[in-house]
Amino acid sequence: MSNGILDIETALRLKGFHFRTPSKVRGYKAGIHKSYYHGISPDFLDHKEYNKGDELKQIDWRLYGRHDRLYVKKFEDEVNMRWCILIDKSASMGYGENKSTKLNYAKKLSATLAYLLLKQGDSVGLLGFSEHDIEFIPPKAGSPFITPIVDKLESFKPSGTTGIKEPVLKALEAYRSEASFVIVSDFLIKPEKIEESLKLIRNSMKEVSLFHILHPDEIDFDFRGSVEFEDMETNAKVIVDTDSIRHTYKKRMGKFIERLKMICHENETRYVFSPINKSIENSLIEIADK
Amino acid sequence: MNLSFLSPLFLIGLAAIALPIIAHLISRKSGVKKSFPAVNFLISSQGELATRSKIKDIILLILRALILVFIVLVFAKPAVFSFSTAQDNTPKSQAIVVDNSFSMGYGNNFSRALSKTQDLIDSLPDGSSAFITSLVPDNKQEPPLIQDKTLLKKALKEIEISNTFTENEKRLQDIYTKLQKAPSERKGVTLITDLQKNGWKNEGFQRSWLEVIDISQKQEASNHAVSQTQLKYENNSIIIEAEVSNFSSDPVQKLLMRTSLGDQEIREFLDIGPEDGSVKKFNFSTEKTEMPSHGSVETSHDKLKVDDIRHFIINGQDQFRILIVDGDSREDSRLSETYYLARALETISELSDTNISIIDNDSFLDEDLSGYGLIFLANIGEITPRIAKDLEEFTNSGGYTVIFLGNRVRAGYYNTLLENILPGELQNIEEQKLSLLPEDSGIFSKDINEKVGQVKIQKLFNIEPNAESATLISASNNKPFLVKKEYGKGSVFIFTSTADSSWNNFSITPVFLPVIKKIHDFPYYTKSQRNYLVDETVNIDISQDTESAIVIDPSGHQFKLKVEAPEFGKTRLPGIYIVEEDGENAYEFVVNIDPRESDLKKTSIPSIESSSEQTQGLVKVFKDIWRYFLWGVVALFVSEATFRAIFS
Repeated sequence: MSNGILDIETALRLKGFHFRTPSKVRGYKAGIHKSYYHGISPDFLDHKEYNKGDELKQIDWRLYGRHDRLYVKKFEDEVNMRWCILIDKSASMGYGENKSTKLNYAKKLSATLAYLLLKQGDSVGLLGFSEHDIEFIPPKAGSPFITPIVDKLESFKPSGTTGIKEPVLKALEAYRSEASFVIVSDFLIKPEKIEESLKLIRNSMKEVSLFHILHPDEIDFDFRGSVEFEDMETNAKVIVDTDSIRHTYKKRMGKFIERLKMICHENETRYVFSPINKSIENSLIEIADK
Repeated sequence: MNLSFLSPLFLIGLAAIALPIIAHLISRKSGVKKSFPAVNFLISSQGELATRSKIKDIILLILRALILVFIVLVFAKPAVFSFSTAQDNTPKSQAIVVDNSFSMGYGNNFSRALSKTQDLIDSLPDGSSAFITSLVPDNKQEPPLIQDKTLLKKALKEIEISNTFTENEKRLQDIYTKLQKAPSERKGVTLITDLQKNGWKNEGFQRSWLEVIDISQKQEASNHAVSQTQLKYENNSIIIEAEVSNFSSDPVQKLLMRTSLGDQEIREFLDIGPEDGSVKKFNFSTEKTEMPSHGSVETSHDKLKVDDIRHFIINGQDQFRILIVDGDSREDSRLSETYYLARALETISELSDTNISIIDNDSFLDEDLSGYGLIFLANIGEITPRIAKDLEEFTNSGGYTVIFLGNRVRAGYYNTLLENILPGELQNIEEQKLSLLPEDSGIFSKDINEKVGQVKIQKLFNIEPNAESATLISASNNKPFLVKKEYGKGSVFIFTSTADSSWNNFSITPVFLPVIKKIHDFPYYTKSQRNYLVDETVNIDISQDTESAIVIDPSGHQFKLKVEAPEFGKTRLPGIYIVEEDGENAYEFVVNIDPRESDLKKTSIPSIESSSEQTQGLVKVFKDIWRYFLWGVVALFVSEATFRAIFS
């Protein structure tokens, strides 16, 4: 196991936090997530009248004493959760200097999250994607599973164009039962396509969280003079006077981020704005519970 | 003004203009290259800014290029120069004559002439004296020779375009004569003209002291003009015949003509061949409306507008009337004394609206002569003192009397009763076979003078012309055949032979009609029609008891007349003039352009092209203008910086 992308210190600081889904899941192992199935969780849920077939040990004898009728206690069952981390490895994620690329940040975030999820007993799968290149590791539970995840993450190189629909379909096919998706990407595609993929996930009754990874250059556009820009994915070129275009660019980027937030809100999706100068801890904490 | 450079080598620096252009193109093609993920955002953002940015770039490019151009021009030292006619810079006496004749109104000829004159004034060597005058004199006193160029330019501004022309050779000679009084040894006259041939009798006119500058740029001036209007009165209508002449070598097609009479207006289109004329008739009804006093015929305008309109006045009741008194009338008119005369006048009346009355000697004695403009007395034997007095008054007030003699005429009777108006004393009748000889009177055309020899005389009265009279045609024995005397406002013509063919064959020769027409035209045009040409002096008819009279010209200016000598010479403007007597409108007369002036063909007089640099013997006079470009550079720098600050 390499410590290159796995930020152990951050993971330790977040040790007291749990990553839960806001809705109930149908897990198959005991875990921290509320289950549709009433079971052995110590959390009392409700009473119901005794019927044939109910466990006798669940009869609430105190209530019988008061009401002279048999009631059984219902407890919430806590199950483990299956997570799928979808990480964008398109060419645009390669933007940044040396190791401070968006992809590196995404890898660190994903590795740390995977580590914490495995630690809390959930199973974690990984799907690295660009439009026509999808690499998938099926979900598994247990801390040792962090090693293949990290190895896979480290193998990702930025290439190809961004496409989100195909990887989402692939993940949905693999996660037919309850699961929570985490998508880590710069989302530099049309908002309509993002919305379409989120709807697919939400219609499959799965939770989804987005980590929106951007480089500060993309937010602040801190360039000077006349620059010829070449798109990292399409190779489209444009010469701009950065001074004159900055204001308009920032306005458009701001609108795009707001639009993305709105789409997430409308689709009950958690949105985490994660520029790469934001610490991994601060990004992850936004989807964590104390 | 011409442009030159004192240090033209610096103009090579203009190549530097390529620098900002190259920089502009380079900035458009390359720059710092960078891979970037959000290029789509840039493309959509730039689309919004593209137009603004392009305009900004182009303006900056132009400003920067202009800065370089101006800097180069500052070093190249541009200067404007004009040609001085001086061989050197020794002072001289110069008359600068600006052609202000009618044709200079063509296009912008006149303004070009004024501009050229300004240049000439500027280029006069220091110490020179000059005066500026117009080719067509304006009745003002000629200006004196002065050295002050400011005053010369002021004099130039006072020159106005005229609507006529003058005798150019005589005028230039007069101007040069005036220069002879100047102390300077070098003297010259510069004429700035379009070289239109009107006014030049000798098209080869050339003098060593004369320099002619042609400002017309050798352009062929095409022109059309309303050259004549004729009015005919019928029962309930007036027919206006308007002739339009085309003086160019190209045809004129669908020329719009507009004839207006009061509030009535008729429009027609007209086609005219090259170097040709065409007549159009306009029929106006006089039934319902009150007759207006005047009207005009106008065509759509060409480059010479002033001759595109011709005015006319309506005589109304004052139709031109001719009285023919036949002293030997017969039942068979062909045997009458006035047969040929009446036919000739009837022919003439077809061209001009004329009413002809023929009466015999008896009726004449009771006739009221005041309504007539022209009276022919043919072989009148009987004249009463009363009718003689009436005839004298008629002539004095502007009427024309034409007397043919014959066998009924008694010389002594005529000499006594018509003493005041008769051009000479009638003597004996001479019987001799004679022919006629022309006299250089200037009245009859060359054609008439050539043909007058065809007339054969058998019998005529000898007459001793008096001092005021002029013999217009003589017989071959050097005795007068036709004598004219001016009396009062009118004139008397006397033919010493008969109007019929009993004493001569005059009435059956081709000369008869044109001679009668010429005599007819004197009163017809000068009195009845009240039709004058520009710059013509008009004898104003004012009533005897009038205390004050004024003439109002077409622009509304009023000119007071001397009642004792009511002559009016300020007929520079074409249009309708109003005569007022004691504050009341007396009558109107019309002034038009001489149709000959509309022909704008040029003379062959040697000239200098005003734009030519091949002006032999001329020197260039320079004026630096590079300082203006230096200020321009500063202004451009400030503009560029401001522009960048605003749009960055």
